[in-house]
Amino acid sequence: MSLKVVRTKAEFEGEMTEETALVDGTDLAAWKADATLGIVGKRHVRVDGIARVTGRALYTQDLYLPGMLHVRVLRSPYPRARVRRVDASRALALPGVRGVLHRFNAPKSAFRGEETIFRDEVRFVGDEVAAIAADTEETAAEAVRRIDVDYELLPFVSDLEEAMRDDAARLDDKGNVTESGKNDRGDIKRAFADAGVTVEATYRTSTQLHNSLETHGAVARWDGDELTVWESTQHVFGVRAGIQAALKIPYRDIRVLCDYMGGGFGSKGGAGKYTIVAAIFARQLGKPVRCFLTRDEENLAAGNRSATYQTVKIAAKGKRIHAIEHLSWSNSGQGRWVADPTGPTNGLYDIPHVRTRSYKVVTSLGALSSFRAPGYVEGTFALDQAIDELADRIGEDPLALRRRHAARQSDPFLGNRYSLKRLLACYDIGAKEIGWQHRRAEGARGSAPHRRRGFGMASQLWGGSGLPPAYATVHLNPDGTAVLRCGTQDIGTGTRTVLAQLVAEELGLEVGDIRVELGDTNSQYAPISAGSLTVSSVGPAVRLAAKDARTQLLQAAGGLLEVPAAELRVERGAIVSKGRRTPIGEVLGQIENYTVIGKGSRFPNPEGLSLKTFGAHFAQVEVDVRTGEVFVEHVVAVHDIGRVINPLTAASQVEGGVIQGLGFVLSEERVVDRPTGRVLNGNLEGYKVPTIRDVPKITVRFIDDPDTKANNIGAKGLGEPPIIPLPAAVANAVANAIGVRIRTAPITRQRVLDALSLRA
Amino acid sequence: MKPFGYARPRAMTDALELVRGGATVMAGGTDLLGLMKDGIAAPERIVDIRDLEPLRGWARVKSKGLRIGALVPLVELETSADLAKLVPIVGEALRPAATLQLRTMGTVGGNLLQRNRCWYFRDEAYPCWLKGGVRCFAIDGDNRLHAILGAEECVAVAPSDLAPALIAYDATVVLTGSRGTRTMPLADLFVTPHGRVRREHAITADELVVEVRVPENALARRGAFEKAMERKTWSFALVSVAVSVKLIGGVVRDARIVLGGVAPVPWRARDAEKLLEGRVLDDAACQAAADAALESAEPLKDNGYKVGLARELVRRTLRRLA
Amino acid sequence: MGRVPKAPQFIGPGAVDVALEVNGDAVRVHVPPHRTLLDTLRESLGLTGAKRVCDEGTCGACTVLLDGEPVYSCMTLAVACAGRSVETVEGLAKDGELHPVQAAFIEHDAFQCGFCTPGQIMSCVGLLKRSPAPTAEDVLRAVSGNLCRCGAYPNIVAAALGAAKKQVRR
Repeated sequence: MSLKVVRTKAEFEGEMTEETALVDGTDLAAWKADATLGIVGKRHVRVDGIARVTGRALYTQDLYLPGMLHVRVLRSPYPRARVRRVDASRALALPGVRGVLHRFNAPKSAFRGEETIFRDEVRFVGDEVAAIAADTEETAAEAVRRIDVDYELLPFVSDLEEAMRDDAARLDDKGNVTESGKNDRGDIKRAFADAGVTVEATYRTSTQLHNSLETHGAVARWDGDELTVWESTQHVFGVRAGIQAALKIPYRDIRVLCDYMGGGFGSKGGAGKYTIVAAIFARQLGKPVRCFLTRDEENLAAGNRSATYQTVKIAAKGKRIHAIEHLSWSNSGQGRWVADPTGPTNGLYDIPHVRTRSYKVVTSLGALSSFRAPGYVEGTFALDQAIDELADRIGEDPLALRRRHAARQSDPFLGNRYSLKRLLACYDIGAKEIGWQHRRAEGARGSAPHRRRGFGMASQLWGGSGLPPAYATVHLNPDGTAVLRCGTQDIGTGTRTVLAQLVAEELGLEVGDIRVELGDTNSQYAPISAGSLTVSSVGPAVRLAAKDARTQLLQAAGGLLEVPAAELRVERGAIVSKGRRTPIGEVLGQIENYTVIGKGSRFPNPEGLSLKTFGAHFAQVEVDVRTGEVFVEHVVAVHDIGRVINPLTAASQVEGGVIQGLGFVLSEERVVDRPTGRVLNGNLEGYKVPTIRDVPKITVRFIDDPDTKANNIGAKGLGEPPIIPLPAAVANAVANAIGVRIRTAPITRQRVLDALSLRA
Repeated sequence: MKPFGYARPRAMTDALELVRGGATVMAGGTDLLGLMKDGIAAPERIVDIRDLEPLRGWARVKSKGLRIGALVPLVELETSADLAKLVPIVGEALRPAATLQLRTMGTVGGNLLQRNRCWYFRDEAYPCWLKGGVRCFAIDGDNRLHAILGAEECVAVAPSDLAPALIAYDATVVLTGSRGTRTMPLADLFVTPHGRVRREHAITADELVVEVRVPENALARRGAFEKAMERKTWSFALVSVAVSVKLIGGVVRDARIVLGGVAPVPWRARDAEKLLEGRVLDDAACQAAADAALESAEPLKDNGYKVGLARELVRRTLRRLA
Repeated sequence: MGRVPKAPQFIGPGAVDVALEVNGDAVRVHVPPHRTLLDTLRESLGLTGAKRVCDEGTCGACTVLLDGEPVYSCMTLAVACAGRSVETVEGLAKDGELHPVQAAFIEHDAFQCGFCTPGQIMSCVGLLKRSPAPTAEDVLRAVSGNLCRCGAYPNIVAAALGAAKKQVRR
């Protein structure tokens, strides 16, 4: 065993980061692209399927500990106000109420750069004002209604474009608008002057709410000085760090657990205020405490995808895109960061002259958080529509135009060569599957009177390389079964299953021989399950851990069987020597209970290469021009993500991304009442996520070309790619169908009808 | 939800007595519990009426038409092959209504008496006019889902899909209370909130809906229903349209055109109905009727699209009758 | 003539005894009238399969069968279930053998995070009780009131149809 320090550049959620990590030993060579693998690459049902279909899977929300208290939070009814006084005496008088926390009595606890979790100036409807712990949730809810607060109302602004204006209420000393990203390539001024045809347009996207079915929440329990927190999270280690920062207690005393979790989509990246509140109450009151958000609270204070206002100016020289300028403003609410919608413009197409700027705009609304490919969904909606608009103007097929800018094998943004890029293959497959040859520039008649048919497509660029640090251990029991321990978590993507397949493949076991234990900070570190990086970060470490276990197993077996280890191999649960198979249990069973412990770590990404995922979506739609109804008939999703470990769960990921993208482009829109700053549809009635009837025929295809330069398993990420191009592909298809472009998402009946009546 | 006392009487007289005493009626509970969870309603006592036999079941009584008990689950009307032979429009209107679970739980009476879905009304924090406040927040706020026809102080719309369908078939409703039983046209069960009338229904607090009746002569009508939603299912109507006519020798007699989702009540487009009288349902007649139906529309800032949408659904439903 | 019935009294608002059948077992719970069936299952009976997602009858994650019919347990009062039969996802597998719908959900990968799954499964089980050989349209109708945020919908349709086929074969 030899530890060494490595430094590596890696991409996370569209931004490059520099990581320092420790790695152990040496990395394995990647499986060859044409390697014959028995388990990896094969369809496998989920290893936790039985737990999930029987109701036995325990989610954090399902945890009811003996004596547990319940918390409900009083949230600001005003978009901006100073909390002058909090009087909880009427609440505390209610039988069953055990405690209250607010800005005047809560212990100091740092939270995401602020010193307290209860602000003296609340900044959005839903900001935390006070919390009540009580014997039952009902009592806590009733008590919250009895807290009297004296607010001093302050000027606010909730609308993105209003907040951008000079006369808007100023929410930040630095102003409401700050630059958050810029890129210049070539000579944009000259390029536009030289160009033949220039198209300019403004695109808008609405705020999308995650609406993970399990809301944000945590359960906290103290045993002496030791704190255990169960949390619905994408990152148990992130929660641990948040708790440490807030409560100033050592890691030794913090354990964070997340076994099953009901969706996150980017929003569950670390400790929430509910976590800290639960932990403080649990310590003060000496009982386990549960704090879960209601659906309404979830949609006020648990993150969202920023609404954007984007302008694109794009120019052609001949039949090529010559220059593009993309400016983007994002409604970050009270968020401290913002995603960058110009990422795809900077890196997706090979365009010589590029100027992008992105701006963060603060408003009196809840903070944004990552939401499945943050920025890239919004940005691609603008970019890939602008390309179609240009194609229309120069009389070119939009796919043909893209091809000219998609072939290059080096990254126009970073300058590096790609480890692997098969975007053109995605185009070929997608065009064939959708029947692109049927697309007419002027659209076509639909299948019923007043219906028009159209085709559209868009491309996808995303990272997904994964990054160190990530570690795993494989415990091989003397009976030949194994337990994989890893600090990652399965947020519904199928991580458990895919990791079990990797262990089985490398160690020579059956998938059924392996139990996968995730979501526990008592394991070694694994990164957040976000940014499409779980498999590509954790997978290579898991494979190494399995390899390490196999090496040790063979050493032990060699001794026990009295055969040189080099002449042995492991195959489907047995030690094989010169054609003779001995079950592992029989071999290791000869000794008293020795557990083989294999360890693995994630090695750095290759130097000097750009690791990306690519893809393309094609959509066939019909639009009823009299009722504004959009019918998405067929979506073809083709992705180039390296090796596919499990085609079954991978296809599910893609379908899920497509469907979430359909919500974004057709129906999902947070509605805020401007005069009061209140969210009007923070629920599942008014906020329209797709239903099963909204789902079109979806064809999923993978290039499935292992990226052997990327990491030892040849896989890249898939969580985010399948949502990125869908909205733009559908918007392009709608425009093709009706001859009018809807530049605002979602493309509702209202927007279709308003646009058509403006034309008429 | 505030705690409450609960009773589940088996006899009508008991139920009426409890209701007269100020208790709130609950049948399927799908609307009432929602209002209570949102803090809009907080009854101290609830009378669960699901055991009241006289309110159950539906039947066709020879020469008297159709009687549908208030407690009939929506799903029963939706799936009954026998009913579909008599008034197919009912199933047509119910299939896209809510969800199977809600149609299983919800009853005919409850569907007709459900309160509006205005997001200002449903948010406890808005002291809106209908809840006794001084103004309607939707008029200056986001009103993309609100009324384009017939609104006064409140611009919320009637949400039921079933009501327009039944009204298009000349349905009547039977109410009973401690002061006796009364029958009225179903259309009259719905009132436009205005002046001192801060409610959506004509039923008094001590009354129950007993049943809905469809007269025998209405069963000969031809009808059609269409609904526009924000997604493919599980949405309240942006616009719904129920139409019915008697066609005698290909000529329209006695047309009914009733719109949901566009007005505080299920909206009878009487001018359009008159215009069709004696005409053949050709393209021109259908379009003319559709235009007439929306003639008096007064859209708000965000809901102009509903005018064209409603016009088109009227035209389409009428065309389907030809 | 029978005796004159007495005017019924209100029970509650405090906790009252409610006897009902859950997954075939007679159970008695002590809950106030305003307690929902969902909260009763989860908190009084330890049956946490049905999930609280919206708590207002919009998402379907709390779907259970009440006298064989799918209902939202968050919009059903426990007190109103007296004498009635409730089936939850926990009661489906018999003697360690999965219900065909459960098995089909695994086979067709009809879930991702799994939080809506118990509700989806109960809606499909209710469907197969009514129509043993459903069409795809029947499936859509049955689960239109069950939202899935991960987007497992295509596989849910496949699973329901697959389960029906297997059930018929058995």
